[in-house]
Amino acid sequence: MAREAIEAEELTYRYGELTAVDHISFSVAESEIMGFLGPNGAGKTTTFKMLTGQFKPKGGQARLLGMDVTKNVEKVQEEIGVCFETTNLYEQMSALENLNLFASLFGMRSFDGNALLERVGLGGRGKDRVETYSKGMKQRLMVARSILNKPRILFLDEPTAGLDPTSSETIRNIILEERERGATVFLTTHDMVEADKLSDRIAFMNQGKIVALDTPHLLKQQHGKRALKAKVAGDAGGLEDREITLDTPETPEAVRKLFSQEKVITIHSEEATLEDIFISLTGRGLV
Amino acid sequence: MNWRILGTLIAKDFSLFFRKKLFAVLTAIGFIFYIVIYFVMPSTVNENLDIGLYAPVTLPAFTQMQEEGLEIETVESEEALKEGVIEGRYVAGVSLPADTMEKLASKQKPTISLYFTPDVPQEMKDTVVLIIRELAYVQTGQALSIEATEEILGPDMIGTPIPPRDRLRPLLAIMILMVEMMGLANLLSEEMERGTIHALLVTPMSVKELFIAKGITGTGLAFGQSVLFMLLVGGFSGGPLIIVTALLLGAVLVTGVAFLISSVSKDFMSVLAWSIPAFIILLVPSFGVLFPGAITNWIKILPSYYLVDTVHRVANFGSGWGDIWLNLLILLGFCLVITWVGISVLRRRVR
Repeated sequence: MAREAIEAEELTYRYGELTAVDHISFSVAESEIMGFLGPNGAGKTTTFKMLTGQFKPKGGQARLLGMDVTKNVEKVQEEIGVCFETTNLYEQMSALENLNLFASLFGMRSFDGNALLERVGLGGRGKDRVETYSKGMKQRLMVARSILNKPRILFLDEPTAGLDPTSSETIRNIILEERERGATVFLTTHDMVEADKLSDRIAFMNQGKIVALDTPHLLKQQHGKRALKAKVAGDAGGLEDREITLDTPETPEAVRKLFSQEKVITIHSEEATLEDIFISLTGRGLV
Repeated sequence: MNWRILGTLIAKDFSLFFRKKLFAVLTAIGFIFYIVIYFVMPSTVNENLDIGLYAPVTLPAFTQMQEEGLEIETVESEEALKEGVIEGRYVAGVSLPADTMEKLASKQKPTISLYFTPDVPQEMKDTVVLIIRELAYVQTGQALSIEATEEILGPDMIGTPIPPRDRLRPLLAIMILMVEMMGLANLLSEEMERGTIHALLVTPMSVKELFIAKGITGTGLAFGQSVLFMLLVGGFSGGPLIIVTALLLGAVLVTGVAFLISSVSKDFMSVLAWSIPAFIILLVPSFGVLFPGAITNWIKILPSYYLVDTVHRVANFGSGWGDIWLNLLILLGFCLVITWVGISVLRRRVR
């Protein structure tokens, strides 16, 4: 059985009277990608900050690789990579200088910044000042910075928010490569498609609490409704819609009747989306 | 303490500081400008006795002295005489009353008014009084037969005459420290505004190391430049070690102030807005050196007074450790308090 890379027990954080994170408990196994989904203000980023040692929890405990984050923050930070939601690069320095600076802070003696830049699609632009980069390029550089120390746990806060499809795809591929390398990935996002594509498990967060946590498949199975959607030839020569709910005792008979009694033009199965599930669990959307 | 991390951070900060065109240009131009100002200012003191004289009646002895070369200029009125003294055209003004001759003739003491420029040293005042008495003696053949009353026009200034450019030295040195203070405050506030400080704090670097690195950067920049300046303008002739110590403490002081400023600033404009009051307050003691007597003892509540006073006394009067140890001690106290407060408030903001 895989060891736990991240363990949160009754983790709590308050901003004055407001409880942003309310006694949440979860764990993430080594080499697992955990997607943290939730609307703005759900408490995702606050959880992210407590796990990465930026915030000291007001209650509960966070353990990374078996170490209490609060008590061993510097040791923990040697083992993690963090990619922030907002761009925080030294814009007056070049991409290579940015990477070399952080490589030096991590004590890396043999670091090949150019190779890393190639990997994130920024080859040949390493000597350009970051201020000349587009948003997508900056974000790719942020991801490069977060993986330069070959972290055992990679934290990514909304890594593809507002990016073009090419940049988003590059970043998704890097996340998967990092998982292949053995890194655990903690991904906060409110992009359900991204979370669905990348995550081994997904936690839904709402109003500071985890309202559901499981694999995307099981979440859909438990909380969503699967259906067959068909278009059949209508009486007046047009098309009419038919829907058969799957996973019920009546499903086989309904399917037989559909094909025997009607002229089926198109048919496809439809799964519930993560957003549907989130709405059904919380009564609100992800944005 | 991880020296590798400290070295990396300091190198990064120096590099970023000089990539900011505004501060790089301000530092370079300012530095050259201060040195040029210093060398453009007069390097000598005019010790000639330029005396103004208002005399409704002509004393033969005075006329004789003028003919012998003493620089006495006669003016038309007492008001013109005072104006001449205030404007600095005369070191002293002598006003003879209309009844001088009659009083001298009747063995009475005429009252002669003497006006002095603010910065005239006591020795020169005494000399002028002696000259007047001598003239009266020449005129009457009797000693002490006049009553001389002194009036200082403007603030009094006591001490050895110092060339204006040497009086300017503490002001220019502190100006250099101030520019670096603003530069460091801006560097710090940008780190917070752009979130780069958070990127640093999720590396193995500790908050303590961050502050030490910033402190070394700020102190190093300010100290290095002020020392270079003093070296170039001959400010180390008095007591180099004392001046270096004072400048080092001054650099620590402005670093502490920079921490304070950056803790309340959000961008360059707010750094500027907070720096200007600090600039003015900390510069005030330097004006006390430029215009002695213009500022009273209250300036001793300003930490920069102890830096300025030390530099002034050591560079211009040759004071030693025994004279200024208390200054340095008080300055050290201010440095510790301000730096501690600065780090405390900035730490809260960082976290």
